Amino acid sequence: MFSTRTALTPSLIVIVGFLTVCPVVMLVLGSFSEGIGAFGKFTLEKYIQSYTDPAFAGIIVNTVIFTIGSGFVATLLALFLAYLNTRTNIPFKFLFRIISIIPMMIPHILFSVSWVLLLNPSNGMINLLLKQIFNLENSPFNIYTLGGMILVEGLLDLPIAYLILAPAMAAFDVSLEESSKVSGASNLRTLTRVTLPVLRPAILASFILVIVRSLASFAVPSIIGMPGRIYVLATHIYRIIATGFAADYGMAAAVGMSALAASIALIYLYRYLTSESEKYVTISSRGYRPSLIELKKAKYPLFAIVGLLSFVLIVLPVLVLFYTSLVPYSMVPDARAFSMMNWKHWLDVLKDPISLLSLKNSVFLGIVGATLGVILSIFVSYVIVKVRTRAAGLLESISFLSFSFPGIVIGVGFMWFFVRTPLYATIWSLLIGYIATYLPYGIRPLTSAFIQIHSHLEESSRVCGGGTLYTLRRIVIPLLIPGVVSGWILMATMFVRELTLSVVLSRPGTEVLAVQILRFAEDGLWGKLSALGIMMICISTIIVVIASLIGMKMTRVQETD
Amino acid sequence: MKKLAILLFVVLMATSAYADQALVEKAKGEGKAAFYANITAIEPIMEAFTNEYGVKGEYTRISTSKFLATVLTEFQAGKLLADVLQSPLPIMELLKEKGVLASYRSPAAASYPAWTRKDDKIQIFGIEYVALIYNKELVKAKDAPKRYEDLTNPKWKGKIVMANPSAHATTISWLIGLKENVFPSEKAWMDFVKGLAANKPMFVRSFGPTPAPVESGEKLIAISMPKYIITKAPAPLDWARVEQPLLGTPRGIAITASASHPNAAKLFVDYWLSKDAMQMLADKVGEYVLHPGVYPPIDGIDKAKVLPIRELSDDEIRYWGSEFKKIFDAP
Repeated sequence: MFSTRTALTPSLIVIVGFLTVCPVVMLVLGSFSEGIGAFGKFTLEKYIQSYTDPAFAGIIVNTVIFTIGSGFVATLLALFLAYLNTRTNIPFKFLFRIISIIPMMIPHILFSVSWVLLLNPSNGMINLLLKQIFNLENSPFNIYTLGGMILVEGLLDLPIAYLILAPAMAAFDVSLEESSKVSGASNLRTLTRVTLPVLRPAILASFILVIVRSLASFAVPSIIGMPGRIYVLATHIYRIIATGFAADYGMAAAVGMSALAASIALIYLYRYLTSESEKYVTISSRGYRPSLIELKKAKYPLFAIVGLLSFVLIVLPVLVLFYTSLVPYSMVPDARAFSMMNWKHWLDVLKDPISLLSLKNSVFLGIVGATLGVILSIFVSYVIVKVRTRAAGLLESISFLSFSFPGIVIGVGFMWFFVRTPLYATIWSLLIGYIATYLPYGIRPLTSAFIQIHSHLEESSRVCGGGTLYTLRRIVIPLLIPGVVSGWILMATMFVRELTLSVVLSRPGTEVLAVQILRFAEDGLWGKLSALGIMMICISTIIVVIASLIGMKMTRVQETD
Repeated sequence: MKKLAILLFVVLMATSAYADQALVEKAKGEGKAAFYANITAIEPIMEAFTNEYGVKGEYTRISTSKFLATVLTEFQAGKLLADVLQSPLPIMELLKEKGVLASYRSPAAASYPAWTRKDDKIQIFGIEYVALIYNKELVKAKDAPKRYEDLTNPKWKGKIVMANPSAHATTISWLIGLKENVFPSEKAWMDFVKGLAANKPMFVRSFGPTPAPVESGEKLIAISMPKYIITKAPAPLDWARVEQPLLGTPRGIAITASASHPNAAKLFVDYWLSKDAMQMLADKVGEYVLHPGVYPPIDGIDKAKVLPIRELSDDEIRYWGSEFKKIFDAP
């Protein structure tokens, strides 16, 4: 039994290392090589040139504000939504869950473009409306600012935060809160003094994951930042690649190394801050059943606030997309636009054989990829939380390697790697690349769920003669179901809309949705782009609903056992 | 004279058709021609090729910023899957330097202007032409710029959208092309660039996102491509008929030295350069092609003078990129 446990860590390091280290090694080689390939004469020139750029300091400042701001927006909103959803008796809960996950399914380019249509200072719809109502001279909002970038990126990353926080909140030991209340604390005081502190690992995990993600994000910096002339690391890297025809990915990788270093530092910080994991254990043995707080009179006002928030933040942009898919070209909505609406873009997309093939491939990658990814994540999270050796720390860091590299660069790293294997230009290269890059989407929700399961439970099982695998299957996994479902949903929706790797690795026969969407974007065909985007959202919604239903059913079966 | 030309043409066509037959048979044996390019909506051309010869035309679209990296990575690993490559001329030149391209002079290019084949490897067939594209519902034709200098008029302040001139290689090349082909002096050109910068254009990533803000009325005019008038119809877009010539980066096509379907590759290049295929490219995608007598169905384009921009080295593009950054970022 003990030998299975010790063998687990090294074998996982080998598997995860193979997945994530190979492309990064290729990028490291490329960043030290002359010329534009992965191999060349050794040179430091690329580092010297990129880090002595006088504009670099300003870019770092913008990047720090942008990523931390996005981390705050996403985490605070997710806390608010997840708390109301899992811990109170607010009505229409199922709806909430779907709404807080929707941004995960929308291609980021589309989401950013719809916000530009709503809030651009020239003729953004909300600006026009407010100008009319309040008789204003100038537009009250300008999306092309750091604030605008933080808002949109924060919303796009809201599902990551939500799917990490919600399972942790759901797996909460009621006795802690009851003790607080018995001692005379109010609901609010219990929340701030007991609930939130106990959730610290999950809150930090969400905050850090969003920072790392926004560091690698490209859609918001390019669509909202560039028109406002606000440059962050990702757009700076793009500038290096796009200026000139011989794109130097080695130099882009050299700049990307600072993102990598920042991410690894954040992960170690996180491990340090949550090092006394015993403090956060909440499911010990008996009495595990999260209680609901009766909202009483606050119920409907709170629901109204959340409803309004969801409407402005999520429903409205999706409506804008739907509208864009129906009008012949980008138009401000008026009587004429409505009279010109038709289904042409939809029919064009449905008649396009490549779009249909890409639909099939993306669904396959989403379902199979997420399933394999979550299985791997369960083992990795188990080691990270329960073994906690130095090797486990190493495992946690390498699981983040590909993820924390800016997207436009990591794809090339994978290409440099896969071209040396027989997997090149097959759908398996996409599958492996996806799992390798987005492993943290599986690992994060699962670790924050693992942290809350007391080792007494496992020890009891072992005392009764259960082996490691038996303990995992009978004791740990059933308690992990909410985390598993979250991880699976994050991965599946991510894979269905994955762009950065696919654009480099997809070939005829292995086209995927996001690549098809990018082609429409490059040609400026926003109508078709929106139509295909909405189809993508529908597919992801179906996948999420089915996954949630299965999750709910499994939890119920375990309870009746 | 005209009759003689027609006769000559018929004879040429007949001989090339004869030569074709042997090639077609060999190409059929190879089964397919794999084509890497970054060009909009050419599926109808691939389909027509497949139907005409029974050889499958397989299109892989690779965006310009990843084109060189992808082709070289595959080539150096001995796994280049492409038989035929198409991209902006500067990239084709770099590929030629690295030994990726094979020699092939297509008989179909006989009628193309002489400058389109400087060597026997790359055949230039089109120009990615750039023009000032405006919203014709919000700007009257008579108010549209008559010369490039008109863009510096303060009436366009805050109304222009363009690809980022500090990063977008094609836009940088276009500005340099204006200096060398259009403006009488370097000073006149610099005044134009500074005047354009003073009008605070909105920057986007590349040409792709330039037409949308003009269609919706967020901006009025774009430094963009006339082909969007075709691909984005019925959007209210028109191009400013400037007196000066239009400029653009040439597009080249070539077959690869490592082609696993070399005959299919030749057949494909022949077909690509034929009048039929070029007409499709002009009609469906609005491309400016160099086959004589073929124009995109955009009003007035057949009368415009369209010039190729000289090839710029990447060092030159980076140098000007950082110069433009200073000029456009100035308060």
